Amino acid sequence: MKKGLIKATDAFERIVHWSLAVSCLILCITGLGMMFHSLNFIGTLMGGLKSLKYVHNFTGLFFILALIFTIRMWWKEAGIFSMPEDLEWMMCAGGYLWHVDKVPEVGKYNPGQKMFFLTVAFFGVIMVATGLVMWFPFSFPVALVRWMYPLHALGFLVIFAFFFVHLYLGTIGSPGSLPAMLHGWVTRAWLKKQHAKWLREMEEAGKLEVFGEEKKTAQGH
Amino acid sequence: MGEKVKLIDVAKCTGCRGCQLACKQWNGLPAEQTFAAGTYQNPPDLQPNTWTLIRFQEVAAKHGVKWLFRKDGCMHCTNAACVKVCPSGALYYSDLGTVGIIHERCIGCKECVAACPFEIPRYDSVTDRVYKCDLCLSRIQADLSPACVKACPTGALTFGDKEDMLKLAYKRAKELGGDANVYGDKFVDGTHVIYVLQEKPGVYDVLPVKPRVPLSVIAWKDLLKPLSLVAAGGVLAASFLHYIIHGPKTPDEDDNHKTEGGA
Repeated sequence: MKKGLIKATDAFERIVHWSLAVSCLILCITGLGMMFHSLNFIGTLMGGLKSLKYVHNFTGLFFILALIFTIRMWWKEAGIFSMPEDLEWMMCAGGYLWHVDKVPEVGKYNPGQKMFFLTVAFFGVIMVATGLVMWFPFSFPVALVRWMYPLHALGFLVIFAFFFVHLYLGTIGSPGSLPAMLHGWVTRAWLKKQHAKWLREMEEAGKLEVFGEEKKTAQGH
Repeated sequence: MGEKVKLIDVAKCTGCRGCQLACKQWNGLPAEQTFAAGTYQNPPDLQPNTWTLIRFQEVAAKHGVKWLFRKDGCMHCTNAACVKVCPSGALYYSDLGTVGIIHERCIGCKECVAACPFEIPRYDSVTDRVYKCDLCLSRIQADLSPACVKACPTGALTFGDKEDMLKLAYKRAKELGGDANVYGDKFVDGTHVIYVLQEKPGVYDVLPVKPRVPLSVIAWKDLLKPLSLVAAGGVLAASFLHYIIHGPKTPDEDDNHKTEGGA
């Protein structure tokens, strides 16, 4: 790690993030294998489509766990909008879509990230609820069971589309962001551009962890 | 080969259940322990190993009680909800228009059970698979009639080309008069099992008056399924355009950051 890098996330955050991400990816891939006959071959890799079904269902259980931790961990930081700066940020789309002279400064998560978190949390819960009914359809009235499938498909539509937005903005669309979720250390320049308010607040509180400098106080949740 | 249809003339049925037994025998389906439930209907419902069943029903008539016998089983829809939802291709349309089932391919997801407007497919938790009538596909492909038709002693069951069977059905309904009607050709694009019913469809147990592919199945398979690919493709295209037109959001003073994050 280079000197001067700043710690943006701790190990717990990254473990929860990747638990959710990996289980979500496995669910998307196995789900696609059941959604399209042309993708049935994904099941062959797992010893048949029936095995794929079990991989999907049991990964779902892991996803529930990861989702609970995700919501518990982030709902305060990323689930609540702070007005009016978040609204101002949204009015200029964070400077992502057109030229903006001065993008309003945001804290640890910008409104776009907050919307992404809320979408994942909301549709994640939908996926869990509909998925569990689909797993045990005989325990519920058939009129209810029937509508779980299109709802599950709707959740997939939203999450799958948002996944690519997230992938783009977490990598080439916003250089310098990826390390925040890989090892947690980001540059000061990146923080100034992306989360200036958080940087300032942390500095004022003396909580900032800078690599190579003596830690002042422990950072925690 | 053209489309084939099994015609069930309920007025000719005596409830002997020869068809039920022939089905079990031809398909090698063992009987299960049953019990007296105060009705001749036995077993009480379709089962993973009971693909056809005579439903016994007593209805009030002008003078006393009237028996209704209806042979229940897969209707072999032209637009079959079960085939539409089956993720593995276990359920499929045969070249005779019937709905075949490859049990080895079934993954036991039970989606067809919820989708079927006639409540036909039955799930077996032991094998984790779904079972239903395939209209004796191996027999009819060899130009034989289905086992149930072969066994029927009264002529209540007939099997043949779709046009012939429909003609016969309407002729018979006219002959019977009264409330007699043909059931099956007017919904789900036509079934390959057709009834001539003596009574209005609503009189019979477990027989939907207006069966159709559930709206939920249409919303799921015809709308959301293709839309999910469109949405993901749209996002990918938009991201690419964003990158080449607007460009990434890069930190202003790149003091100690070089090429992290790709690009």
